[in-house]
Amino acid sequence: MSSCGNPAADEQALMPRRLKFGNSKDCVRCRLKPGNIVIRHAVYCQECFTPMVDMKFRKALEPSVNARAGTSKRPKLKASGNLCLGFSGGLGSSILLDIVHNTYFSSQPPLDDSGRPRGGTNHPRNASVWPSCIVCYVEVCGAFAGMQDRTEDIRSVVERYPSFDFVPLRIEDAFDGSWWTKVSGPNTTPQVWLELSKDGLITDGRTAAMHLFNILNLALSGLHVTSDVTSLTPVEAMRSYLSSLPTQTAISSALQNLTRVLILHTAHSRGSSHLLFGSSLTSLSISLLSSISQGGGYAIREELQEEWAPVTASGSKLSSVLRVVRPLRDVTAKECAVYVWWNNISVIGRDKQRRAILGIAALTKNFVVGLEKDYPSTVSTIARTCEKLEPKDAPSGQCRLCKRPMQSAIQEWKGRISIRSYSDDKLATDLAYIPSACRSILDSSTPSQVPLLPSLTDFLCYSCHTMLTSRSSRGVKQSAPGVSSATPLPIWVADCGLHEDELMGIGGRRKIPEEEMLHTVAKFLTDDQTCEE
Amino acid sequence: MAGTITIKLVFSGGLELLFGNEQNQSVLIPSFVPSDNSTHSSSSSSSSTTSSHNDIHSTGETKAADLEYLIYHLRDHLLKERPELFMENGTIRPGILVLINNTDWELEGEGSYQLCNNDEIVFISTLHGG
Repeated sequence: MSSCGNPAADEQALMPRRLKFGNSKDCVRCRLKPGNIVIRHAVYCQECFTPMVDMKFRKALEPSVNARAGTSKRPKLKASGNLCLGFSGGLGSSILLDIVHNTYFSSQPPLDDSGRPRGGTNHPRNASVWPSCIVCYVEVCGAFAGMQDRTEDIRSVVERYPSFDFVPLRIEDAFDGSWWTKVSGPNTTPQVWLELSKDGLITDGRTAAMHLFNILNLALSGLHVTSDVTSLTPVEAMRSYLSSLPTQTAISSALQNLTRVLILHTAHSRGSSHLLFGSSLTSLSISLLSSISQGGGYAIREELQEEWAPVTASGSKLSSVLRVVRPLRDVTAKECAVYVWWNNISVIGRDKQRRAILGIAALTKNFVVGLEKDYPSTVSTIARTCEKLEPKDAPSGQCRLCKRPMQSAIQEWKGRISIRSYSDDKLATDLAYIPSACRSILDSSTPSQVPLLPSLTDFLCYSCHTMLTSRSSRGVKQSAPGVSSATPLPIWVADCGLHEDELMGIGGRRKIPEEEMLHTVAKFLTDDQTCEE
Repeated sequence: MAGTITIKLVFSGGLELLFGNEQNQSVLIPSFVPSDNSTHSSSSSSSSTTSSHNDIHSTGETKAADLEYLIYHLRDHLLKERPELFMENGTIRPGILVLINNTDWELEGEGSYQLCNNDEIVFISTLHGG
């Protein structure tokens, strides 16, 4: 109960809490039985609730089953390939498995007296929508110390549905050449590494040489690929990649991107025409807001639903397109929980460590879950509003890291909204401790003496670039002397012509030998001493 | 037992991990409880026979045992760890669904629902994710 805030009113008088449902407690669907559950101000009885959720599921999925829309209002459903389900062990994906199985894979064709399918096996009535279904699960225990491997637990869940084939993956497959060969065919994709540079952050407490080294790094700023520095196992490479990321938010995003791209490539390589995820309305709203907060607004439509295909070396997409659908996008987390309870669906859930998400995603989740409790309709508003958003211009390609559409001229836009010149008087005062020889390098308004080299920055979307270079209070991970500071990248980054893009090989950036780097830094130190004298 | 009621509890959706990994439990609570939801003198298990009936009268105003009191009771006597994952701002944490005899607690008055003997209260966490 809350006070109405009117100073003239009796202090003890409290505003009665408004009801979370309409005037009647009877089911709005059958109007016969008393309701058992309130879903966004509507009351449903237990018998009407399950069909209502099933209907929402089919309405969200079936318009995208057929390759072509056609003119019929109720077309016969026939997909062009098989079905792939992304399974995490969570609430939504457990419901996804159950509904897909019950709706599309468990019905038996009517039999005649001899026990054969009525109308013959080739009768259209007996044809299934998808010929087969695979269930992909990505094990992430390699990314978290001490986390239990749940692959076999997940397998036992999937085995309850005999029509489904289980395809287990591991998060470190993203750094495993043998997995890449399996999904993309024999190739010579190299393992690429990345020199991450700080974006304007100069750490304190460093020696003068390191201080100037960082400035030099900033001047050459960008994300540059190098040739293979050392050989690491896929697990080591994955952990190195994650530990190099600047923030907890970046680590959460990176894991989501790795998981999604692994499943995309696996589904596509196995001839799937549709890939389904079990994101509920609540988790979808969380991911939409979280994505926008991290600069992923350009690909907001893809977060909801997309048609995806790998990009070939020529830059074109393959003809076989994978439709990524989230058929539970109109079903709230509360509906999912009740559906599971009333239909006795077993949910493994996620590991405690995995559930403890950090960063922006965690803050967004707390916010949206709180919204759902007090103002349930607003959660739907988030998703509905995002559905209406559309980028102004056509994408300039596909981001190499997250495989989503990439906005054109990102760096130019960043240049317009960022401070790139230190010629401003106030900034010059603040940075007076930096030797003038070095300050001139920082000023991008003067022509740089360093040749402009192609950078991976030009092939990343804004969200991925932000993920790799966002500021961190921890500072950039410093490697030990003699150890490379480069970080390995997922194997698919190097696919499709890094050489053609001049990011590697002839015309590409080479790894500067340590002696040359030390010479360059020493030159600045000498200039520094000259200035002081 | 005079002056106490038995409540059947079910924890699901991962919530059972906070209650010693036991999904099905039951509690004995007094029929009348302190209005301020104080649980100091309440019994905490189904096997306990201690009656706190006399103690309640001596501590001030009382009310019929309701769901709000039960939530405090569970936090103080049954919860094994992480109370902040179960209760927030004096009520059940957002993201936890409560069913009273298979009915949404929003239809039964939420925390003000007066408990009856052998009621089944189900707590389901919706925070599993997708």
